[in-house]
Amino acid sequence: MNERHPLANSALEQTIDKILNQTEKEISSNIESALTDSYQTLDDSVPKLEQEYDKIVADGKKEADKIEKQIMGSSDIEARNKHLMALEEAVDKVFTQALDQIANTDRSGDYSNLIKSLLDESTKILGTTEVVVFTNAKDKDAVQSALPNYPGSELSSETIDCLGGVKIQSKDGTMTFDNTIDARIERLKPLIRKEIAAKFGVSN
Amino acid sequence: MSAEGGVQYSKIAEIKGPLVIVDDVDNAAFDELVEVETKDGERRLGKVLEVGNGKAIVQVFEGTTGLSISGTNAKFVGKVMEMPVSKEVLGRVFDGLGRPKDGLPDPIADKFIDINGEPMNPEQREYPKDFIQTGVSVIDGLMTLVRGQKLPIFSGSGMSHNLLAAQIARQASVVGTDDDFAVVFAAIGVQYSEAEYFRRSLEESGALKRSVLFLNTADDPAIERIITPRVALTVAEYLAFELGMHVLVVITDMTNYAEALREISAAREEVPGRKGYPGYLYTDLSTLYERAGKLNGKKGSVTQVPILSMPSDDITHPIPDLTGYITEGQIVVGRDLFRQGVYPPINILMSLSRLMKDGIGEGSTREDHGEISNQVYDAYSRAQEVRALAGIVGKAGLTEIDLKYLDLGDTFEKEFLTQATDENRTIEETLTLMWKIVSKLPKNEITKIKDKYVEQYYKEE
Repeated sequence: MNERHPLANSALEQTIDKILNQTEKEISSNIESALTDSYQTLDDSVPKLEQEYDKIVADGKKEADKIEKQIMGSSDIEARNKHLMALEEAVDKVFTQALDQIANTDRSGDYSNLIKSLLDESTKILGTTEVVVFTNAKDKDAVQSALPNYPGSELSSETIDCLGGVKIQSKDGTMTFDNTIDARIERLKPLIRKEIAAKFGVSN
Repeated sequence: MSAEGGVQYSKIAEIKGPLVIVDDVDNAAFDELVEVETKDGERRLGKVLEVGNGKAIVQVFEGTTGLSISGTNAKFVGKVMEMPVSKEVLGRVFDGLGRPKDGLPDPIADKFIDINGEPMNPEQREYPKDFIQTGVSVIDGLMTLVRGQKLPIFSGSGMSHNLLAAQIARQASVVGTDDDFAVVFAAIGVQYSEAEYFRRSLEESGALKRSVLFLNTADDPAIERIITPRVALTVAEYLAFELGMHVLVVITDMTNYAEALREISAAREEVPGRKGYPGYLYTDLSTLYERAGKLNGKKGSVTQVPILSMPSDDITHPIPDLTGYITEGQIVVGRDLFRQGVYPPINILMSLSRLMKDGIGEGSTREDHGEISNQVYDAYSRAQEVRALAGIVGKAGLTEIDLKYLDLGDTFEKEFLTQATDENRTIEETLTLMWKIVSKLPKNEITKIKDKYVEQYYKEE
């Protein structure tokens, strides 16, 4: 084996050291610059990230608001509908009871005055007393006794199905006016419903 | 309402189209409500169109199919047609005549109001100047709707106007105030699927509780269509002027209304006007459109967005033509944009809101709104010219600035105009988008905006 000259060894070592140092410096500088670059990239991406984050949060909030509105809206409507149905049921009960009471009203006393006023109103609206009068079986007597006040009028032998009151028809059959209690209630039903609802504490 | 009226006549002289002519009638009044009873006891509603010489001409809303001269009776009710109104109508669905269609009972009425409305005293009218946000960028940004305005949408057959109508109804709101807001939606002669879409769309978005729907479907009698907008506007007026709410009335499709009017006019053998529509079409339409407005001393307002489909996309057709004379601007839905798949396909160059200038700017939307809007209009108009030029000389023949305008036109349609049907944009978002579009141009091309706003909002790409 050849032995190297001591000077040659030292020069080699120095060269190696130099290269090592240079490489180390280069690597350190590269690492530093990479670090700086990565910090820079990180810094640059922060506002973008914040923007993105804000957008996601805003979108999420919008979506949450939308869902909240949907849930609130449908539950409000559902509650309101149940309330309406309950109210209608109560109003119907009141109506049914009232109609029962009217149907069973005592036909004596003031009732004949009611029949008279219904006949007055009906003949006035048709503009003639030359009429045929229809009524139910219960009111027949009361109507019959009032008819002499209306010259030309006659009571039909047919009876009609109603709670009470009269239905009159001109003798030529072209005009009819329904003044039965049923028809009057039907005409005024929306107002009566409002009154009943008000009694239940429902007002608009 | 009283117990008066109610005389029933059985002498029917003639049945002609939707009309029934009743003989030997003494005390009928013009516009009086009539109940026509068929042989089978079925009842249909109608109203008196003419009286005189012992005859009354009755227009039957539900049509005269199945009626015969013998056995038909006409009961004159003694009052005009009225709509029961109360706050309870909110969240309800009615048919074209104002009868419940949601399986619930009739609303308990606070009042019964004549559906023909009361004419507004012109002296009492207040100039509309408050912004309504629809959440649709192209409307809010470029043709802003203000409270009390009547701004129609002119569309064409098969286009997406009904989607837009539903989106406006769902999203519309008043900003910067705690005042109550309501939407009255009247669908006239729409398909069943569309009616169902409107109902479901409002229900699922939670907007139904502040809305009232009137649905007259295509299979309902055409004559009912005369009544639908009137009952809707009656409810709107009550909510606005009695309860102090800001009410947006969306009516679709007014063309079906005008056709029903033509049907009655033809049956009455009136002298036809343009395209067979009656000569009084303008007057009749104005009795509906003029029910929009604000009144001095009253808190609420009625704003109308009537939608009409132009037959053959013809803007000179009598319906859009006469509508345009009465209303305060128009939003035109464009066939080209629709074919490109743009939604909402609004042609901004043909559209205009005449009252926009008073409803925007500092204190309403934002100080730069008017100027940015003018600049966008100007730039898009130039983009269209450049597109036409590019069609002839090709892109290679365009200058650098022309190419920027071309790019602006594309961005405008893709990012600003195009919007999802469930996307509700705030006015701030809309204005930001408008600045994004304008920022595609170099600063020296921005000639309609003050420098201070350019400095503040311009962001060069």
